[in-house]
Amino acid sequence: MGTAVTHAPAMEDLTQDSEPRHRPAKSPRPAALKRRGRRETLAGYLFMSPWIAGFLLLTAGPMVASLYFAFTDYNLFDAPQWIGLDNFSEMFADPRWQNSVKVTLWYVAVGTPIKLIAALGVALLLAQKRRGQAFYRAAFYAPSLIGASVSIAIVWKAIFSDDAVVDRTQKLFGIDVGGWTGDPDLIIYSLVALTVWQFGAPMVIFLAGLKQVPRELYEAAEVDGAGTFRRFWNITLPMISPVLFFNVLLETIHSFQIFSSAYIVGGGAGGNACGPADGSMVYTCYLYVQGFENSRMGLASAMAWVLLVAVALVTAVLFWSQKRWVHYEEGA
Amino acid sequence: MHQDKNVERRTVLKAAGASLAVAGLGATATACGGGSGSGDGTVTIRYAWWGAEDRAERIKKTIALFEKKYPKIKVKTDFQVYPDFWKKFNTQASGGNPPDVFQNAIGFLRKYDAKNVLLDLNAQVEAGNLSLDGFRAGLEKFGEVDGKLLGVPVGSNSMALVIDKPVYTKSGVKPEQGWTWDDFDAAMKKIRDKAGRAGDSGMYGVMYLYDLYLRQNGKAFFTEDGLGFTEADLKEWWTKAEKGIKQGIYADPKKVAQTKPKSAVAAELAAGEFTWDNFTVRYTSEGKSEYGLAPIPTTDGKKTGQYLGSLMLSASKRTQHPKEVAQFINFMVHEPEVAKIMGYDRGVPATQAQYDAFKPTDPVNKAIAEYEESLVAAGVLEPITPHPNGADICEAGFMRIAEELALGKRSVDDAVKQFFTESKTALGS
Repeated sequence: MGTAVTHAPAMEDLTQDSEPRHRPAKSPRPAALKRRGRRETLAGYLFMSPWIAGFLLLTAGPMVASLYFAFTDYNLFDAPQWIGLDNFSEMFADPRWQNSVKVTLWYVAVGTPIKLIAALGVALLLAQKRRGQAFYRAAFYAPSLIGASVSIAIVWKAIFSDDAVVDRTQKLFGIDVGGWTGDPDLIIYSLVALTVWQFGAPMVIFLAGLKQVPRELYEAAEVDGAGTFRRFWNITLPMISPVLFFNVLLETIHSFQIFSSAYIVGGGAGGNACGPADGSMVYTCYLYVQGFENSRMGLASAMAWVLLVAVALVTAVLFWSQKRWVHYEEGA
Repeated sequence: MHQDKNVERRTVLKAAGASLAVAGLGATATACGGGSGSGDGTVTIRYAWWGAEDRAERIKKTIALFEKKYPKIKVKTDFQVYPDFWKKFNTQASGGNPPDVFQNAIGFLRKYDAKNVLLDLNAQVEAGNLSLDGFRAGLEKFGEVDGKLLGVPVGSNSMALVIDKPVYTKSGVKPEQGWTWDDFDAAMKKIRDKAGRAGDSGMYGVMYLYDLYLRQNGKAFFTEDGLGFTEADLKEWWTKAEKGIKQGIYADPKKVAQTKPKSAVAAELAAGEFTWDNFTVRYTSEGKSEYGLAPIPTTDGKKTGQYLGSLMLSASKRTQHPKEVAQFINFMVHEPEVAKIMGYDRGVPATQAQYDAFKPTDPVNKAIAEYEESLVAAGVLEPITPHPNGADICEAGFMRIAEELALGKRSVDDAVKQFFTESKTALGS
């Protein structure tokens, strides 16, 4: 963006200078058109080249490399040694790995539904015509803009640690359990709270979906004597099911990938990488520990591929299940 | 109209191409300027360490002194807190770009020697750029691995029992050099009963204390290439831990975990903690009480198994300026002015000249000096336990698994098994 603005005056000059020279005398013939088409294709690729280079060098290349490393013993310093499937058999037998799978599945299974229910609930309220709705929408959406950031995770840690806001508030009500982030059983709840707090993104998508539901359906149902719940269950839900499916899919995949919040909220104190007694040691955290703390990049790569396959499987199951509960409007 | 647009697009392309080319040239130019040598013979060396802001302030002052004495050497600095330091260092070193000179500790010498990262400083000693004279208590040998000089100590520490003095006095406990573990256990009960506080913060997870206990019994935590104790040994140690937690002589592990990063002693959860003697400085700034140093309990009434640990300066094998790096290390360990600035921040200074240059006046640092002198006087210091490649990962695992045991997440058998499994992997045996 910045470059374009800086060069704007120069561009204008060039345009004026070169216009007469490049203007064809007659209307272009097919061959010229073809040539121009090719040139435009080339130009297109040239413009895309920063992205393509980035994709090849920073995404595709490392992915191919990590697939290779997954079958090697690689400590970053020495050349990788091919060890076949050893990384995978070690991983599956490792109790810490099993624990990380358990923690992650729990987080996905609990956090995602709560977040989506919150998002849908608030979306239903915000879909009504009232004064100041735009403000409320913005206010509820705001956390999801900043929620994934490192700074918010740091704030979260400060809120939920010992003798902080949450601890003092719960003490007022006679609940003396101490700080959540230092408690191996409670820390995961603080992470669930953090993800639920960011319900704004799915909420906006729900809102868009709710706006698409034809009002006639509700009017007809009301005439037939359907109550609020009945209308929600039989009209709203089926009508927004494609949007719901989209949100479930997106949030599930997203939850599996939780890293920075778990790493920051759980990390830091006294050598714990992710929470006391591995309480918030989610899958990607353990991957990080193996890769960067224990210098076992081969094993970490293998873990990454297992995660990829697992998420792909979950996605496939969700797609398969949509036949049963997602209704696409005919001819829409 | 349509054609005009096309022409415009083409010219835009040209402009974009031109600016890309300019940007490319610019990048090349900066790349050339990035080298550490320049025309007038000035070289730049990179120096990295771990520590807090306070240490950084002191180190910057010492660097200013160095640059004044060696105007042709510029020092670029970088620091992180301990765990982040090693992550960054690991990444830089594996990418072939470690700092020229950096803070190090004994647990990492064999690890990075195996990875071919550390410079053997012996050549620089022979060339006269680095002197090994004047070190206290044989400290110049501490950075030696298989005949290679991989690190030069800047200071020394030893393990101690850091205590909350008023609580000990109130409970009528007076630790003395040569007290035994039975005396210690009795004292813990006394403190629990009289002061209503746990006596210890969680000694079962302190690897360096367990090392001393093993050494008192003719073993050690590590041998040169593996663990120096058996599963049965560890089972005994951790069974005692489980019992102590139930009896309330060790602090509530959950509370200890929740209070982190504040120490359990400063948070008044425990009356004492086994740790390095210079930690009293930290506790004094964190807590409200008065903190002191007590001797390590013994098995036979004499032997504590103690040794001096130390922070060192190491150089990178890939440094372009080994001579300047050696001069830098030499200055930092021998120059008396440096000791006046650093104080006991990295332990008691390693060389006699620096030790003499800084005489603490505050009670906390005075106590550290007295403690270290008392160890020399008692003649309990012995050679340090070797630290094989992977020792750092074993220490982290020991601490974590002990905490899981204390929190009731693992049984003793399970914890011991898990520690041995993880250590085997870390030590590659």
